[in-house]
Amino acid sequence: MEVNLLGESFKFMILGMGVVFLFLLVLIWVMKVQAQIINKYFPEEVPKVATPKSSQDEEQKRVAAIIGAVSEFRKNKQNKV
Amino acid sequence: MRVKQLILSLLFIFSIVTSSLQASSHEAPTTVEEEKKEYKPKSIGELASSFWETTGINAILDTNDGEMTAEPAGSSSERLMTAFESSLGRIIMILIVFALFYLAIAKNFEPLLLIPIAFGGLLANIPLAHMGGEHGMLGVIYNMGIANEFFPLLIFMGVGAMTDFGPLLANPKTAILGGAAQFGIFGSLIGAVAIGFDIQSASAISIIGGADGPTSIFIANRLAPDMLGAIAVAAYSYMALVPVIQPPIMRWLTTKEERRIKMGVQRKVHRLEKLVFPIVVIVLSMLILPESTPLIGAFAFGNFAKESGVVDRLSDTMQNSLINIVTIFLGLGVGSKLAADKFLVVETMGIMIIGLLAFSAGTAVGVLMARLMNKFSDKDNQINPLIGAAGVSAVPMSARVVSRVGSEERPGNVLLMHAMGPNVAGVIGSAVAAGVLLSIFK
Repeated sequence: MEVNLLGESFKFMILGMGVVFLFLLVLIWVMKVQAQIINKYFPEEVPKVATPKSSQDEEQKRVAAIIGAVSEFRKNKQNKV
Repeated sequence: MRVKQLILSLLFIFSIVTSSLQASSHEAPTTVEEEKKEYKPKSIGELASSFWETTGINAILDTNDGEMTAEPAGSSSERLMTAFESSLGRIIMILIVFALFYLAIAKNFEPLLLIPIAFGGLLANIPLAHMGGEHGMLGVIYNMGIANEFFPLLIFMGVGAMTDFGPLLANPKTAILGGAAQFGIFGSLIGAVAIGFDIQSASAISIIGGADGPTSIFIANRLAPDMLGAIAVAAYSYMALVPVIQPPIMRWLTTKEERRIKMGVQRKVHRLEKLVFPIVVIVLSMLILPESTPLIGAFAFGNFAKESGVVDRLSDTMQNSLINIVTIFLGLGVGSKLAADKFLVVETMGIMIIGLLAFSAGTAVGVLMARLMNKFSDKDNQINPLIGAAGVSAVPMSARVVSRVGSEERPGNVLLMHAMGPNVAGVIGSAVAAGVLLSIFK
C-alpha cells in the first residue's frame, strides 16, 4: 500500500498545532482564573508593596545610624592610638 | 656512519611496507585471545613495525585496518568502517571540530555547549582509541545519560529553576505567541518529508524548530538515535545564531509603526500565582498529554523548588552546580556522535537545511500571529509584534534579540520582560509538541 507521506505529515501538523494551542489556551484561561481567585482571597501582599513607609522617617534613621557608626569608629581608633 | 644510516632508513621503509601488507591481509581483525601470549624475542625492526601499526598516522593512512564503528558490542548496526570514514572522514571531522571551536571562542556562539560537544567530537575521531565505543569514556557517558534520556531531563530541571514565569502570568495572552511559533516544528516536518526523510526521522529533525536543546536531544534519541549528533549540533548552532537569523525576518514581516509600539508596565504578579503555576502546568499535561510529562515534570519541579522559597539550596544546586555538571556530560556524550561514520552522511546536510527552515518558520509565524492578535484587540491594548519572535523558545536569547531590535527602532522601549512571556510559553509549547510527536510513534 502506497502511503502518502506528505499527507501524513500534514495531518501531524494539524494534530500537533491543535494540541499545542489547546494546551496553551486552557493554560491562559487557568492563569486568568487563578489570578482573579488569588488576588481576591489573598490580597494582603499587594498593598504592603504599594505603600512604602514615609521616606523622610527612613532617611533620618539612616543618617542617625551613620553618625552613630562613624563616632563609634573614631572612638575605637582613638583608643587604639 | 653513512652506511649505517642508510641501512636504518631502509629497514624503516621495509617495515612500513610489510606492516601495511600484513594489515591488508588481515581477515578477522579482532581475534580475542584468552590466554596470555608467550613473549617471543623481537628484533628492533619488528618492534618498530609493530609500534608503527599502533600509531594514528598508520590508522589514518591505512584505510582497511578493520576498525569497527562505535556501536555497543553485538548491535546490528555495528560494521567495519569504510575507507573514507577511517581516513579522510576523520580529518574532515577534526576540521569541523576546529570550526566549532572557533565559533564558540571567537564568536561566542553558545560556548557552554559547543565547547564540550566539539571536544567530544575531537576525542571521538581519534583512531584506535575507541573513545566513543561501549567502554570508551564518551561511550560510557553516552550510555549513562543520553541513551536513556536522563541528562536532557536534568537540564530541563535546571532551566525550570532558572525560569521566572512572572511575565507570562502578568500577560497570559502572550502564551498564544509561544504556541504559534511551534509552527516551526510542524511546518518543517512537512519540509523534511518533502525532501525525502522517512516520517519518523523527519519528526526527530523538525523538533529543532522547538529551539530547545534538551527537547531536541530527548526526541532525537527516541525517534532517530543515529541522527542525534547532527540534530543536537544543528539545534545548538542555530540557537546560537538566533541573533543573526531572527532580526531580518522580524523586520521583513512588520512595519516600522508596529515595531515602535510601546507596551505598558506589567502588573505585579502575586507570589502565590507563581507558586501555583508549575502545579497547574503539570496537572494540565497530566490530563491532556501524559507523554510530555517527563519534560514538563522536570521543568515544573525545578520551577516549583525555586518558587517555593524554602529550598533555596536545592534550587541553587539545580540552576548552578547540577546543570553545569550535566552540561559537561551532555556535551561530551553528544560529541561522541560527531564521529565521522555518524556525522558525514548525506542526511546531515538535510538536517542543517531543515533546521534553518524550522527556526525561520517559527519566527515568522510568531510575528504574524502577534499582528493577527493586534487586529482583534482594542487600540490601547496593542502588543508589539516583535515579541512574537520570542515564541521560539531559545530562552533567553530570542527575548534579548527582540529587546534589542525594539530599542533600535525606538530608544528606551524595553521589550525584554514582555518578550519573556512568549519565550517561556514557547518552552512549554515545544515540550507539548514533543509529547504529541512521541504519542504518534508510540
